[in-house]
Amino acid sequence: MELALDLSPPESKHYRSWSERLRYVARYSQPEEIHVACEMARAVGVTSLMAVLNRRTEAALREFQIWRDLSVWAVVPNMYAFIRDLTDRGLVGAALARFLRLRPSAMVATGVHALRELGPLARSDFSAGALWLSQMELAAVQGLRVNRVFLHPQLTEIALAGRATELFTEFARRARSLGLEAGLVTHNPVMAAEVLGGELKSFAAIVAPCNPKGYKMVPDRSTSEALLGSRRGQFWATELTAGGSVPVATALSHGREFGLAGAVLELRSLEAAYRDSSRAPAGPR
Amino acid sequence: MADPRPLRCAVIGAGRMGMVHGHLLQVYPGTELVGFADPQSGAHERLASQGLRAPVFREVPELLAAAQPEAVFICTPTHTHLAVTRECLVRPVHLFMEKPVATSVADADTILTLAREHRVMHAAGYVYAHLPIVEEARRLLAEGVLGEILRFSAHAYISEVFGPKSGWFFQRELSGGGVVANMGSHVLFILGWMFGRIRRVMATTRSHASTVEDSAHALLWFEGGVTGMLDTSWSMPGAQMLDYGITIDGRQGTLVLGREQILLHLLRPMGDHPEGWSEIHASDLPADTAFDISPHIGGEAFYRQLRVFETACRTSVLPFCSLDEAANTQRMIEGIYASAASGQPVEVA
Repeated sequence: MELALDLSPPESKHYRSWSERLRYVARYSQPEEIHVACEMARAVGVTSLMAVLNRRTEAALREFQIWRDLSVWAVVPNMYAFIRDLTDRGLVGAALARFLRLRPSAMVATGVHALRELGPLARSDFSAGALWLSQMELAAVQGLRVNRVFLHPQLTEIALAGRATELFTEFARRARSLGLEAGLVTHNPVMAAEVLGGELKSFAAIVAPCNPKGYKMVPDRSTSEALLGSRRGQFWATELTAGGSVPVATALSHGREFGLAGAVLELRSLEAAYRDSSRAPAGPR
Repeated sequence: MADPRPLRCAVIGAGRMGMVHGHLLQVYPGTELVGFADPQSGAHERLASQGLRAPVFREVPELLAAAQPEAVFICTPTHTHLAVTRECLVRPVHLFMEKPVATSVADADTILTLAREHRVMHAAGYVYAHLPIVEEARRLLAEGVLGEILRFSAHAYISEVFGPKSGWFFQRELSGGGVVANMGSHVLFILGWMFGRIRRVMATTRSHASTVEDSAHALLWFEGGVTGMLDTSWSMPGAQMLDYGITIDGRQGTLVLGREQILLHLLRPMGDHPEGWSEIHASDLPADTAFDISPHIGGEAFYRQLRVFETACRTSVLPFCSLDEAANTQRMIEGIYASAASGQPVEVA
């Protein structure tokens, strides 16, 4: 079973307490600490880094890739930041604000595309907007070797609920046209299989909850496991430790026994896995 | 025998929350999304592009006449809730109201009175109360695990406002207030559900980024004798989603409610709970959600909230999240603003 590290902003995670949150956020706001996490990840066998990209993470990963060959999986667009803008700028205003922050070459590349889609974008078309935002973020990435791209789960779940299959189809097609593999992150893999049918195979990796307690596995554990078991080579486990209630070693064993393609570790799980390998002192500094 | 027909539901207001409820109504097996009402041009195309296939009407009366809903989800800006309620109750439709239910206690009370007069079921969208771990904490308190409850401290923080903001959400007369009404109210609702009616409030608020209050400290006295403090801010770095917690002290122990776990410290064993520290994790509670519309914000609580409302509509038994309970929350909100303005404790009738 392969391993990936989830390097999404630590501000976007849940913690046991406010003080634990501050420890993680403060620590992993530092580029050198992100590098430390990446080195720890390599030491425990992680081969890919999965991240909702912001400037801080992107810069740290770009430096890290200078001397280490870990692949990067980008989750786009950064919906947490986008939703903050939505409350006072509106959908079009928030998207335009992002566009205007692009460097000129990226602006030209995504602007040409936007012109082709002007009608749907002006109508706040969901798929056109999601794809444009995704394309803008990918275009803004400079010098980072990204080899897999995932649609942000907040868009994925909405699109699944609305059975907006064209968004997934087009997302996968555009990823391929950029020489990237498309992936899917969802807490609703059973719905994804139902909605996407044969299109599911367009996604090289599907990241979905899988743990020994059935936590967050909807609609229920047995239905989820039946799906994951039928596509073992495609599924990667997230929510691996069931919110920290299962030891990482146990959680990893469960994933291996289940025969999944891989598992995505959060920073807390990474630290525990690293401690288990007896190479580091305990806890965040 | 339960009515096998899906409950016909309509959504009024096609903004962010209207969209979320619309999707859930389509996915949830016990409901049918029969229409939207939204005055904005292009709403139909925008919603259809997300797969929200119900017809869209510009006005509420058109929606009611054409779609014949049995229940409506009111997701318009807060200051319109009372007027929309009046428009809806020309016929007996059950009401689900996004939070906060009103910009004042007077409006919240009028909405509640109207709902009672028309004998419809009603609920408010304080979604975090539907998280299994929150329900479990409330159950433990109701069971008396802590004995007599004495005091609490609570927080609700998010990183959202760090400078001037525009839009209706940041105008007090339209949204009902700032962080207290729109974020802290989630925790105020849970506190009211746990401890009962509010009696007195002493608070300070500050506007340091936007034109509404961006942070607040509130001392709350409940009628049952429980007292405690809420600290809330939407200008706190480090939390992209609402981070909340409640620590409750009783004569027989302490309960610490977090996002995914309850820490319990008991002075003596109580039922299945041992003396000393123990933990109840959300993963130990029964799973009962068929679709997770927003795994990182609210999570399964949205689905569970809908089930509670649907059950109420079918059984004619008011849910715990009724507008009665929301009116108590509104009293806390208004009490906090009144106390902050006067610098004095405020008795809440």
